[in-house]
Amino acid sequence: MTDSHLPRRTLLRYGAYGAGAAALAGTAASWDRLTGADIPGRDDGSLVVATLGSAFDPATVEALTKGFHRLHPDIPLRVNAVQAVDWSDFFAKILTQIAAGTAPDLVYVATEGVQLFAQRLGVSLDRWVRRDAAELREYFADVHPSLVESMMYEGNLYQLPMEFNAADMYLNKQVLKRAGADFPAADWSRDDFTALLRELKRGGGSHFTPYFWTNRLWGGVVPWLFANGTNLLKESKAPGGSWLWDTFYPAADRQGRGGGFRWTTPQATTDRVEEAYDYIASLVQEDLCTRPEGGNGNNLVGVFSTGHVGVTPAGGFWAGGLQQAGMRAADYDVQYFPRWRTQRHQFGAAGYALLRTSKKQEAAWEFIKYAARKDTMTRLFRTNQTTPARRSMLNAARYAASGPAHWQVFYDTLDRFPDTGPIPAPPQVAEVTDVLLKYTGTALASPRAVGPALRRMQGDLEQAMEREV
Amino acid sequence: MTNTQVPNSQVPPVRSRPATPPVAVRPSVRDRGARLVAALFLAPTVVGIVVFTVVPIIGSVVLSLFQWNVIDPPHFVGGANYRTTFTDSTVLVSFRNTLLFMVLAVALQLLIALSLALALNGRMPVWLRSVFRSAFFFPLVLSAASISVVMKYLFNQDFGVVNWLIGLVGIAPVPWLTSEHAAMATVVLVYVWQQFGFSFLLFVGGLNNIPKEIHEAAALDGATGLRKHLGITLPLLSPTLLVATVVGIINALQVFEQPYVLTDGGPGDATRTVVMVIYERAFEQLDFGEASAVGVLLFALIMAVTALQFRLSRRFVHYQ
Repeated sequence: MTDSHLPRRTLLRYGAYGAGAAALAGTAASWDRLTGADIPGRDDGSLVVATLGSAFDPATVEALTKGFHRLHPDIPLRVNAVQAVDWSDFFAKILTQIAAGTAPDLVYVATEGVQLFAQRLGVSLDRWVRRDAAELREYFADVHPSLVESMMYEGNLYQLPMEFNAADMYLNKQVLKRAGADFPAADWSRDDFTALLRELKRGGGSHFTPYFWTNRLWGGVVPWLFANGTNLLKESKAPGGSWLWDTFYPAADRQGRGGGFRWTTPQATTDRVEEAYDYIASLVQEDLCTRPEGGNGNNLVGVFSTGHVGVTPAGGFWAGGLQQAGMRAADYDVQYFPRWRTQRHQFGAAGYALLRTSKKQEAAWEFIKYAARKDTMTRLFRTNQTTPARRSMLNAARYAASGPAHWQVFYDTLDRFPDTGPIPAPPQVAEVTDVLLKYTGTALASPRAVGPALRRMQGDLEQAMEREV
Repeated sequence: MTNTQVPNSQVPPVRSRPATPPVAVRPSVRDRGARLVAALFLAPTVVGIVVFTVVPIIGSVVLSLFQWNVIDPPHFVGGANYRTTFTDSTVLVSFRNTLLFMVLAVALQLLIALSLALALNGRMPVWLRSVFRSAFFFPLVLSAASISVVMKYLFNQDFGVVNWLIGLVGIAPVPWLTSEHAAMATVVLVYVWQQFGFSFLLFVGGLNNIPKEIHEAAALDGATGLRKHLGITLPLLSPTLLVATVVGIINALQVFEQPYVLTDGGPGDATRTVVMVIYERAFEQLDFGEASAVGVLLFALIMAVTALQFRLSRRFVHYQ
């Protein structure tokens, strides 16, 4: 049809279409619908606290919120439980929120991110700590200075530690009994450890592995480096911090304290590091331990509780995990990490970091103080999914149901070995971790691979540490 | 054998231009209305593609010229991210791994899918054929991450079911996920197990479209078994094979979940793929510029491989 005149019927039909479309568009525009502003906590004036989702259950978060509201009814609080598989994943999601312009006011940050947050995103808590020193005296008296020092960066304090986990050794007592082996002494040596693994291997079946470990920054190779008196990166202390030590700690505890840790020059090719890797490689070759496998050790609870593994490094967090897996308190126990050249242990801690972008910094500080109170922490850490930073919270009653019998080991790892320190986590921690895991995998994947892998690790670590974060 | 081709002599000559000049015909109201309706139907898709595909691609290209760590404002660095990428051994290894993975995974996937489709195309009760089709397709609807978590347990060297099973016949435990040589093979196996169902369905559809008469004619001419498949089935299935290969290659070049969950790219860099590097650079190391540069290079690689496939298809693909 080439007629350019519009027939009346066609005109009416398209008129009806147009009216219908206009009506639809009008209805859609006026519809009461959800927008970005409806997301809980966004732009409603609440103090937003981001926590690692799996760290606290919903009931605990609710108790935390209600408790704070009772104390500060004028400060609306929103706890944003970010679901993540590990700290690295958690930080990635927080940074995405920051990039999207929806930064929280407070973020629960572990050792892995303390220096990164302090350097780029965090606010030092010094002025508030000084101001409310009288109120905080009881808190610091209950918390080991090593934990506090691990939350300092270049002389300033950025977080109050809420929890920590040191890498101690868990032993399956059923496996020990099956092999006729004794529970090790507190000062057991690396050779005692090797001998125990051989004993367990003889008593176990073909599908039994005496020692299981996970290839990660916390609890992987690093505890062996610490025990051998070395570290992945050269460790030193920043100057400063005396204002805090002089205010809150007695002279004996101030000894050797500074303004936080510095991890600088990579030392992967030093003799002691190579020695530690050679030792683990020898355990792998002898079938006394698993090859390094990445991940968060999720399958470990299963294989340990069913007696397929005899010994593994873990922190206080595992007591709750094993209880959930059905292990009785009498079925396992915990001992310090074995002594090599030293018996220095490694730990990771966590606390709330205040972000520079926060417009509610005073309110955020009130939340930090509230979270550090003993009654709050008691509510928060009801199950043994971690080790509370307060010494007084670790008692026989807490571990009566879950075990272990030697629960004192958890805090004594700090008290008995005062040089126990945090895992190496400079601001470039993401690259350092990637390099460590990558070359640990290579070093232990085949015989005689340790030397070449460590040389490549050294090169990559040097590059990583040169990079400005 | 029935000749379905038209002899060249019967093909009418093609004229380079029409005999009469074209007449400018104004589209009718009905035509204009139909076009409007077509445009309205297409609009959501076009808007979706522009917003979620074209804009992010352009955004990635722009971002690849900047240094950006989320925290500070982006800083223009020109081609520096590309220079870093070309000298970064991890990136180069990840491209090598991804290409190796693509070759192994796509070849295995197509081989298994085609073999099973041919087997299912034979005589078989309808209900049994349905059971097999569903069973082969089922893994595809599952989450790759969930499957990988389960497979990680199965392939564990010390406690896995796979080593337990091979142990029953006296084979020593294999470090499926912790040996540089075995890890890539394991990742390929897990990936193919999940993915071959798609190619399988394509091949089943393609086989059903081949006229039975052609096979019957070939049988009359004495063609049997492998000869029949090579001479008739494969050429007539070549358009389907092209689609399956293109989709398979594009998917394989973007593999992420399986190596991320199974091996985290290890041991060393043995199973680190390009998309893993993009993720690590962006979300772990906060280097969104370099991550974008790697992403742009991967995009270019996929485009180049796909273009090459279509070019080759002119020679090897036969349409009925």
